[in-house]
Amino acid sequence: MQPQFSKAEVTKVPEGALVHEDATAKWFLISSVAYFFIVGIIALIIAAKFVWPDLMGSMSWLTYGRLRPLHVNGMLFGWLLAADMGLAYYVIPRLCGVPLWSEKLGLATAALWNVIILGAVVTLMAGLNQGWEYAELPWYLDILVVVAWIMFGINVFMTVASRKHQAMYVTIWYTMGCILWTAFVYLTGNFATLFATGTNQANLNWMYVHNAVGLIFTPIGLGIAYYFIPRASNTPLHSHKLSMIGFWSLAFVYVWTGAHHMLHGPISQWLQTIAIAFSLMLLIPVWAVVYNLFATMKGQWHQLRESVPLKFLMSGVVFYLLTCFQGPMHSLRTVNAIVSKTDWIPGHAHMAVLGCFSFFAIAGTYFAMPKIMGKALHSQSLANWSYWMLMIGGLGFFTTLWLGGFWQGWQWNNVSIPFIDTVIALKPIWIVRFLSGIMMFTGIVFFAYNILATALGTHEEAAV
Amino acid sequence: MFKKADNNALWAIGISLVLFFIGGLLTTVAPPLIDKSWSKPFENHDPAQGVTGKLVKLNEQQLKGRAIYVREGCWYCHTQQIRTLLADTKRYGWKGVDAPISTPDEFVYDDPHMFGTKRTGPDLARIGGKYDTQWHRTHFRNPRDLVKGSIMPPYTWIVNNPEEFNALVAYLQTLGRAKDWRPANDYEK
Repeated sequence: MQPQFSKAEVTKVPEGALVHEDATAKWFLISSVAYFFIVGIIALIIAAKFVWPDLMGSMSWLTYGRLRPLHVNGMLFGWLLAADMGLAYYVIPRLCGVPLWSEKLGLATAALWNVIILGAVVTLMAGLNQGWEYAELPWYLDILVVVAWIMFGINVFMTVASRKHQAMYVTIWYTMGCILWTAFVYLTGNFATLFATGTNQANLNWMYVHNAVGLIFTPIGLGIAYYFIPRASNTPLHSHKLSMIGFWSLAFVYVWTGAHHMLHGPISQWLQTIAIAFSLMLLIPVWAVVYNLFATMKGQWHQLRESVPLKFLMSGVVFYLLTCFQGPMHSLRTVNAIVSKTDWIPGHAHMAVLGCFSFFAIAGTYFAMPKIMGKALHSQSLANWSYWMLMIGGLGFFTTLWLGGFWQGWQWNNVSIPFIDTVIALKPIWIVRFLSGIMMFTGIVFFAYNILATALGTHEEAAV
Repeated sequence: MFKKADNNALWAIGISLVLFFIGGLLTTVAPPLIDKSWSKPFENHDPAQGVTGKLVKLNEQQLKGRAIYVREGCWYCHTQQIRTLLADTKRYGWKGVDAPISTPDEFVYDDPHMFGTKRTGPDLARIGGKYDTQWHRTHFRNPRDLVKGSIMPPYTWIVNNPEEFNALVAYLQTLGRAKDWRPANDYEK
């Protein structure tokens, strides 16, 4: 493949150097950032409904039961996975030292992805819900997801196959692992479930839900962190060996843990015990990764003051450590008897998906978009503000839900307290959650505006 | 073995899939083959063996009601599982009788499964027969009329559609009834 020179005039690179076209990365990132904003509005409406339950209550398509799947699917697939894919289209060619195998195929993938997300909005609001968490989308959209994923996979694998550098950096393993595991995890959750019922189906469903986070968002998110932390801080990765331990233990351990979502529930006790044992083993890949990334920053922490991407990245690593400590602890039967099914769980889930993996994706987008456009970020101070809004709003959200959820769990365990009293007790928690949500949404608005102004705005300042 | 994966993409792909499939197959394909209670419908006529009863398939109207339950996302806030915890058996019992623990054989015909994951509202695994149709009508029209402080949304468009409302209530009245757990058969209709 010939290197492409389409932006040669703008960036003034020496003749013969490789210039990445990045059209696919750019469009994936732009659309994902737009969905982050749009779905953020849905999230705020949902949080408001906990405080004012009659809000928009007369319209079936705006009820909680229709908007919640839209929020979850919109954030997971419209924002986060699309942003991660966009960053993979940016990172993989650079690590391989070759242009992306096919920008045309990439752009077609971006277009198809947008069709899927718009289709999801229409079907979910119409109540066309398959009834499985994370797998709500009707089968015809599921098939499009599979097609888009194959297109993404072909592009990445062909780029890797044509690479100039023989040794593959850890980000490449994680991205390849993500693509392959996702294929099987997604098929299990969206198609194998069609042929099962009851507990058997629930077991497949939970294998998918758990591994959507563990084998889709974790590997691609860690791949992004492994690339952007050394890149943004200009520091080599601490240890190649540790990154290997982290990757291969993740590959083996994660898939066993799905049944911990049904602890104490109508599923075989021995399967619950297996899930608990492997949930505890998750500490191995997590601590290997976290130590490696922290050690990389040793002596470099002062750089966080000046760099917004590094702020997001290292906060994301801390949230990763915390969320992946909570996870194994929840799977202990005694702890589970208190926190399971309470508001603690959304606090935990938001720390994983927003606090950790979205922070990584935001950092990558802040870093990559100016490079893609060949100009400086629209506003550094706005970027800094977006960090603090998301950080403080996020912490408010997580901590109030943990406190509230734990309290709720204790109340449920005291059967002399009527259920409705445990609902009323949580109202202050939901008000703080809504206010934190407003702060987080403000952060999203700052981020989205900043990125879109950089990508689509007219100023022509050169990148620093 | 793992060193080679640094430079060889096919090798890396191979090992990642093998490691993934060991756990993948053992936790998804194997369990239903090992534990037969996942696929054998509940049936017990001997009181010495515990609570009696028989799991029957839903009729057409009840299935329609179940589809409404799925469509409106009731399962995002209501679980359907009495767990092996006193907090569940006591709390979701009724008039002094503990609710029996949910077992896989009670859910063999459930598709999609409605075990749920979050209790913003109470568990519904044994709700069948606890409240009569009139209660449900008032409650769906505005939950706060019956339960002060509730945050459940109103479902007026279901109450105003008798076919949908009756189907939904018919489904709710089946929940947890495979096990005949009320001593005096005092179920509401």
